[in-house]
Amino acid sequence: TVTSLLHMSVFSQSFSPCGRFLAAGNNYGEIALFSLSAALSPDATAQSQKPVLTFTAHEGPVFSLLSTDCHLLSAGNGEISAWSWTELIKKNVKPLWTKRPNYNLEIPEINSMVMNPRDNSLIVGGGDNNVHVLDLERGVFKLVLQGHSDYVHCVSVREREAEILSGGEDGAVRIWDSRTGQSVHCIEVYKYESCARPQYGKWISCLTTDSDWMLCGGGPSMSLWHLRSLSPTSVFPLTGCQRQAAFHQDMILAVGEGPFLSHCLLGGEVKAQIPCTPQSLNTLQLNTNSTEHRVLTAGGSSDHIDVFTNLSYRAFSLRF
Amino acid sequence: MSPSVFNFVDAKDKFTASAIHALAAKNGKQLVNAFNQIPGNETEKKTTLDQALRGVLGDQIVEQKASCDEYLSLIYLSIDAVTEGICSATTPFLLLGDVLDCLPLDQCDKIFSFVEENVSTWKSNSFYTAGKNYLLRMCNDLLRRLSKSQNTVFCGRIQLFLARLFPLSEKSGLNLQSQFNLDNITVFNKNEQESTLGQKHTEEKEEGMEVEEGEMGEDDAPAPCSIPIDYNLYRKFWTLQDYFRNPVQCYDKFSWMTFLKYSDETLAVFKSYKLDDMQASKRKLEELRATGGEHVYFAKFLTSEKLMDLQLSDSNFRRHILLQYLILFQYLKGQVKFKSSNSVLNDDQTTWIEETTKLVYQLLREIPPDGDKFATMVEHILNTEDNWNSWKNEGCPSFVKERTVDDKPKRPTRKRQAPEDFLGKGPDRKLFMGNDELTRLWNLNQDNMEACKSDSREFMPSLDEFFAEAIEQADPANMVEDEYKVVRNPNYGWRALRLLSRRSPHFFQPTNQKFKSLADYLDSMVSKLAKELPKDIPSEEIKTGEEDDDDNGDNLLKDSNDSPSIQSKMVTNQQMDDMAAKLGAQWKTLASHLEMKAAELREIETDSEDVDMQAKLLLVAWQDREGTQATVDNLVTALNAAGFSQIADSLSEA
Repeated sequence: TVTSLLHMSVFSQSFSPCGRFLAAGNNYGEIALFSLSAALSPDATAQSQKPVLTFTAHEGPVFSLLSTDCHLLSAGNGEISAWSWTELIKKNVKPLWTKRPNYNLEIPEINSMVMNPRDNSLIVGGGDNNVHVLDLERGVFKLVLQGHSDYVHCVSVREREAEILSGGEDGAVRIWDSRTGQSVHCIEVYKYESCARPQYGKWISCLTTDSDWMLCGGGPSMSLWHLRSLSPTSVFPLTGCQRQAAFHQDMILAVGEGPFLSHCLLGGEVKAQIPCTPQSLNTLQLNTNSTEHRVLTAGGSSDHIDVFTNLSYRAFSLRF
Repeated sequence: MSPSVFNFVDAKDKFTASAIHALAAKNGKQLVNAFNQIPGNETEKKTTLDQALRGVLGDQIVEQKASCDEYLSLIYLSIDAVTEGICSATTPFLLLGDVLDCLPLDQCDKIFSFVEENVSTWKSNSFYTAGKNYLLRMCNDLLRRLSKSQNTVFCGRIQLFLARLFPLSEKSGLNLQSQFNLDNITVFNKNEQESTLGQKHTEEKEEGMEVEEGEMGEDDAPAPCSIPIDYNLYRKFWTLQDYFRNPVQCYDKFSWMTFLKYSDETLAVFKSYKLDDMQASKRKLEELRATGGEHVYFAKFLTSEKLMDLQLSDSNFRRHILLQYLILFQYLKGQVKFKSSNSVLNDDQTTWIEETTKLVYQLLREIPPDGDKFATMVEHILNTEDNWNSWKNEGCPSFVKERTVDDKPKRPTRKRQAPEDFLGKGPDRKLFMGNDELTRLWNLNQDNMEACKSDSREFMPSLDEFFAEAIEQADPANMVEDEYKVVRNPNYGWRALRLLSRRSPHFFQPTNQKFKSLADYLDSMVSKLAKELPKDIPSEEIKTGEEDDDDNGDNLLKDSNDSPSIQSKMVTNQQMDDMAAKLGAQWKTLASHLEMKAAELREIETDSEDVDMQAKLLLVAWQDREGTQATVDNLVTALNAAGFSQIADSLSEA
């Protein structure tokens, strides 16, 4: 309905392994599949920008989506479901499996998931303040990383060092050893004067890593950290709280509060802010699975998902 | 003997031979000599020589052995011949035309250089009128033969030559009706089938422009790989070129709507996609040069969709497009005489154009390098265009200033007066100060000090003038309330003091009376003055010019001092003591006749308990108030009026 479109928020995105499709999850628990080849083709019409498939995946909002070689993993309402991409493309919406970590009390939401290809495990962070690790081969939860005093917003993985990183509402970025499950470091970003923004808060809502570097932000300003020395090297003067950031070539892309996609340089300079349709953005994805369809997509508090063929301007939008 | 008949064939042959010799000798004298020797009249000989020269040239061309230099020497010869007067002025041009018509383009290039170099010759008096049409025709023929995209430089040279040859007002060189080159169509892939997306990988690359880089670049091998293309923008962007090609379309409502929509989208992309990296565009320029070898100039846009991203990130490309917008807007808004009557913009369109012009200039300023300078330059050029446009509208008036013809020699008028005149020694005996006002003032009175002393500069008022109002207000019969009295006005009071100090002796008389305020002091002064300056004796007022009011004061002093009458004598202290003793408690009765105020009476009562004392105080107060008027006479009058005739008598006797 029109009202539901008005109140829709897109929380998560994931590209298919072939790179020709985009899956997007919204606050109604729905996942929509968009055909990029149709939307990017020269004879695309308005209909090409609508989903080829929409289905309800969970009861609660789909906060996180992740693709493996052949599966789409979605998280919503405290549970994780797996779908076969091939089946989804054929419009078959039966999940392969649905699992749930062991929770102590009530069932929390799952905010973030990341793959650890080293040992084929899935790292899950959510509302119970813990990071759960699911062994995808055996299908069992093998580790619980405890340490955060408030819910976990985002997780990331440093494959080479076998480390898991998690950022939480408690303002801490914790670095865990993925083998032992021990917390090896705890960085309380809000305690660093260069990043702290007490007027916003201390939570960490965005976290991403690239070998020795880490980007994190949220209440505090988004900052670039050198992980070996555990010190911030650049702080980015972006107003609003950032919700997702990515390293791209020698640039940093970030989205968050505010209707733009920010381009930043590693030194801390904000090079450009490209206007987007949603007033506030939650998710940013770059399609690395296909060169033909190598686009950047951004979604947020709108039923529109902006598509960039050229990072510097919005080409068109997909719509739920 | 009859005059020799002119033999055409004979003459022509002689001229031909002579010309060939002259060419060989590189000297035109031979030709002149030949001309003079042959019998016949000038005209006949000239036309014959023309023919001869053309024949020589024709032979040279047919032989195909001659080089350009030889043709040029012949033409030089013909120029010299014209100068010598033996050949028609049109001949060099005819020769040029012949040569250019018969030669291939690469040789025409050399011939044309000759034409360019000698433009001053063509413009000189002897050649211009005869040759200009020939030259114009010749150039136009050449232009028709040349391809605008292949021989751009040559075409440009021809155009420049024409521009130099003709004066500005030569209409044949103008685009008088502001017509457009409707043939300049920009081709792009409107059709999906034609898109390069589906093509095989074996297709050859386009002139080195396919170097993939930038955000969507790929680390793969440089084989042509497809990248995502924004077809939407691509189509809309290149469609705009059609509006630039034929601006008259904008006046049509539906075309305008499309133009508006597409422009908004395109400009939004420009706005969003800001160019800041000068390094990137420099790099691309280097690569262009490297692959092409030399700097290639494109007369038409390259419209492959794969180039769109690269083009968007190129500063020069953007400048082209934005400048196209500005030129278009100038045309749409401008007054051109040859526009049809329905080529008018409505209000909405005008508003949109204004807003968009601002946006375009802003975008221009943001394009590095030197965006600001470029934008200012563009604005200046477009403003100048306006001038040209109005010049065309007026029918291209000539720019040559005509020298004005003087009818008769005028006597030189003197701009300035002779010095004697304005130093007062001239016939008027007036001193001219160079300015009317100054002259007037100077001639009134030269000496400033003397002028200041003149009577007309006497601004100090007389006492009665100034105090008239105050005196009137002081009269209790007028019942003017205290607060409205003019003496309460501090400004008035200050002036009153100054005036009193200049004109009134009362000012300098010592007095025991303490005044609580200036207003009170003035009250007493005013009453004193009132008594001194009687208004009902007008004869005293009318005085001659010499007598001023200072005398008045002096007279008064004399009066009071010189009067022998006892009654006018001042009341003494002793007298007052006696009277006080006699009055006793009855002093209050006397008080009313002495015009004492109730406040004063109360003050007396509080000052002393003793009635005698109070009576004394009354008399003292009266004396203070009256000043010089505190005379025995006045007191006697008051006493009598109060019913104290006895006391009055005793006072009189004393």
